[in-house]
Amino acid sequence: MRFYAICVYLFLYIPIGVIALFSFNAGRHASQLQGFSTKWYGKALSNPFVMDALETSLTVAFCSALFASVFGTMAAVALQGIRGPVRVAFDMLIYVAVMIPGIVIGIATLIGLVTVFDQLNPLIAAIWPEGFNPPKLRMGIGSLIAAHTMFLMALVVIIVRARLAGMDRALTEASSDLYATPMGTFRQVTLPMIFPAILAGFLLSFTFSFDDFIIAFFVAGSETTLPIYVFSSIRRGVTPEINAIGTMVMGVSLLLLISAQLLLQRGGRKSR
Amino acid sequence: MAIEAYTEVTLPADRKVVAELRGVSKSFGDVLAASDLNLSIGEGEFLSFLGPSGCGKTTALRMLAGFEAPSEGQVLLDGDVVNDLDAHNRPVNMVFQQYALFPHMTVTQNIGYGLRQVRPRIPKPQIAERVSRALEVVRLGGFDDRKIWEMSGGQQQRVALARAIINEPKLLLLDEPMAALDRKLRKEMQIELQDLQRQLGITFVLVTHDQEEALSMSDRICIMRDGRIVQIGSPQELYDRPNSRYVADFVGTSNFFDGTLQGSPEGLSTVLLDNGMQVQGMAGDGLVDHQDVCISVRPEQMKLSHQGDGVEVKVHNRIFLGEHTEYLVSHQTLGDFLVLAPRQADLTEGAFAVGDTATVSWEATAALILDRN
Ligand SMILES: Nc1ncnc2c1ncn2[C@@H]1O[C@H](COP(=O)(O)OP(=O)(O)O)[C@@H](O)[C@H]1O
Ligand SMILES: [Mg+2]
Repeated sequence: MRFYAICVYLFLYIPIGVIALFSFNAGRHASQLQGFSTKWYGKALSNPFVMDALETSLTVAFCSALFASVFGTMAAVALQGIRGPVRVAFDMLIYVAVMIPGIVIGIATLIGLVTVFDQLNPLIAAIWPEGFNPPKLRMGIGSLIAAHTMFLMALVVIIVRARLAGMDRALTEASSDLYATPMGTFRQVTLPMIFPAILAGFLLSFTFSFDDFIIAFFVAGSETTLPIYVFSSIRRGVTPEINAIGTMVMGVSLLLLISAQLLLQRGGRKSR
Repeated sequence: MAIEAYTEVTLPADRKVVAELRGVSKSFGDVLAASDLNLSIGEGEFLSFLGPSGCGKTTALRMLAGFEAPSEGQVLLDGDVVNDLDAHNRPVNMVFQQYALFPHMTVTQNIGYGLRQVRPRIPKPQIAERVSRALEVVRLGGFDDRKIWEMSGGQQQRVALARAIINEPKLLLLDEPMAALDRKLRKEMQIELQDLQRQLGITFVLVTHDQEEALSMSDRICIMRDGRIVQIGSPQELYDRPNSRYVADFVGTSNFFDGTLQGSPEGLSTVLLDNGMQVQGMAGDGLVDHQDVCISVRPEQMKLSHQGDGVEVKVHNRIFLGEHTEYLVSHQTLGDFLVLAPRQADLTEGAFAVGDTATVSWEATAALILDRN
């Protein structure tokens, strides 16, 4: 049993380890190690295409994580207040949203947005004042953020809901018993207590958005995110530079995931 | 201001009423948690709801606090109907069963929470001063900046108490506040709570399933059963004049013998017990001729003698309790029952040993004729 488990882990992690190892390779070839060097990191970070893609990725990740956290928290708090079939239906839909494969979300969002844009663009052109160029809705950073926000929101709802469910109902009752208005109770009791979960949701969302290739591939339009850049570069062969980018992305993701996990653990302990 | 003790079943006419329940019922789906509650709570009173778990005590309290709206009837505070007034607008505070202290705030922040919600705002120094006074009152001076989870159960309870009383509420509601404390601490807190109530003059409404707690602390007790109030009275009244077997059984210990009422119930009446014995007893209110009743005799009202009038019993068990000796005796047709003999009786008459035969007697006025339910 142990032996098989070790095999599985090796199978999972050896490729990642190899990428990290070769990112420090002094030589140019991905087949033999030729001493230690960090020059590929320098090269990657000074490549304007990489930096452009990184900026796009960071912007998208930050905005979609922010929107997902805000709307997801609002949805979770609202769901906490209702019971019965409505809640059951919403709960199911949320789990479905998390489990749907990225490729389905990508295609569906693409088709949906294109259809909506095709309807809206003539309308906007029609009401736009004469002589000015009407703006045209198209795929790009906006559609990326929208698509990511939609699927990450479900994730935040699940995380925050778990935290809310673990919170003693007597605490909000005590707050209103002590003259706090519903808004005051939310601000002074509910929000501080679920904040670690919201932050964890934000970090997870950030990571997922930052790492996402499949959805971005469909809805990015002419924009290039870091995963898309890596994908298109790989078609021209795996270079140590790509390995360096991959290792950096992985390092940052891992760091964020660990922070999120710590936040969730600490938050859970404090509430008891 | 002196707060005199309550002894009357109903409030005296000159007592100011701070809260009132008028025909209040509450149902959760099919469950009728409270049913036709009628009650006036007087200013400065210490009132308890006593009953077994699930009888609707918490529900009654939550309707006073504003967490539940009555399905029927009216809740009044200071003469105004407050059915639709949200909890945060009611001048009432609650001490929760598990205290419900805010874990992300210090002791000081917890206690000052209510004052910080008041608009227009109370100046910060004034809040700080009142918080430190409240800390003194519950004897927690110096614990100001402690975190909640650094406090013991008893200390947490004091914080919860301070957090409520600092607002000088019209009513202080306490939902089984002592249930989570160990026995010794519970006794201490009971005394402290009583002192506090006298000192502050705040009206206390306590919920408990512990008869000893209710008896020792309350001016008046509402005995509840299946969502109804079955009797309201001072601890002494409930003990001496229970209106049903249920109350007699719940308040203190008693021996019950089933029978049928003979003749109209006026003062001393006759009951034909199921075993054919005829006994006299004091009839309670609302009984009718030939009704199925029971007689209730407290163990300490029974006298155990070596000979003389009375029912003949065999001593089954004997527990020495210091001031008293508790005998479990058995009678051929009446079954087993308890007799509590004072130490003095044991000394003058001689104690009984297990297996002895004895006679048990009681005054007719000590036997209460009660509804069987
Ligand atoms: N929110 C609720 N929903 C459904 N049933 C409830 C609710 N609150 C109380 N009940 C029911 O009402 C009855 C009385 O409960 P409660 O007032 O808590 O009793 P007590 O405090 O005397 O133990 C119980 O049968 C309980 O199950
Ligand atoms: Mg209860």
